[in-house]
Amino acid sequence: MAPEDELRLRVGVDVVGVERLERLVRDDEERQRTLFTQVELDYCRGKRRQYEHLAARFAAKEAVLKAFGTGISQRMRWTDVEVVNERSGRPRIRLAGEVAAFAERRGLQDLDVSLTHTEGLALAHAVTVWSGGDRCAST
Amino acid sequence: MADVDSAVKEAVVEALALDDDEVTPESTLMDDLGAESIDLLDILFRIEKSTGVKIEASDLGDYIQGGIPDDEFSDENEVITAKGAEHLSKVMPQTNASDLEGTLKAEEVMSLFTVQNLGEMVKSRDGAGG
Repeated sequence: MAPEDELRLRVGVDVVGVERLERLVRDDEERQRTLFTQVELDYCRGKRRQYEHLAARFAAKEAVLKAFGTGISQRMRWTDVEVVNERSGRPRIRLAGEVAAFAERRGLQDLDVSLTHTEGLALAHAVTVWSGGDRCAST
Repeated sequence: MADVDSAVKEAVVEALALDDDEVTPESTLMDDLGAESIDLLDILFRIEKSTGVKIEASDLGDYIQGGIPDDEFSDENEVITAKGAEHLSKVMPQTNASDLEGTLKAEEVMSLFTVQNLGEMVKSRDGAGG
């Protein structure tokens, strides 16, 4: 198989302290809008433990960017990685802006994420599939 | 502007729960001090509270890239160009443009960003009316 036809798997994981995330964004609409899209805020604000859900979404953003090999960099915005939920409740990632452009340049083929949270911690695990062989293996 | 340097160091120490002597101006935030994204957010929010200078995480990338278009800052393999390296050596004076050109990947740039570099960025924003 030619290198350009190879698929590569990259994973990213992140854990976020719920209290810490809450301390950073509680009662601060501007900060919340810096980190989360309206869809994410609407979803979480409807939950009894909204900060657990927000922390899980923040963890998902970081996990995705770790799987990309970048972390937050290159003018990427947190809202460029959005967690949306299917009717079943299963989370799905929607990309926009610089992150979407990066994904297209690097040959992202598929992306999946799983979230979990307790009273204290939120964790996200992202799995990405890339085409283009070594181009995405060097990060 | 000594107060800005102190405020930046204090923000880093508190956000990362480090001892004062563990943080030097030359410490790189991510590689040396182990900051992750939420730590970076915490640091920036603390700096905003103490200095009034608001910096978003995405502003760091803008500052580091200095308005140079993506296709001039790095090549098709995301490796920093001579123009990009020249700019980086200005905003991160501890680096040498000739060492970066053709070797540094664009996504690795943030790993070179130091406490002092952050302080200089805050000062530049403060001077611009923050």
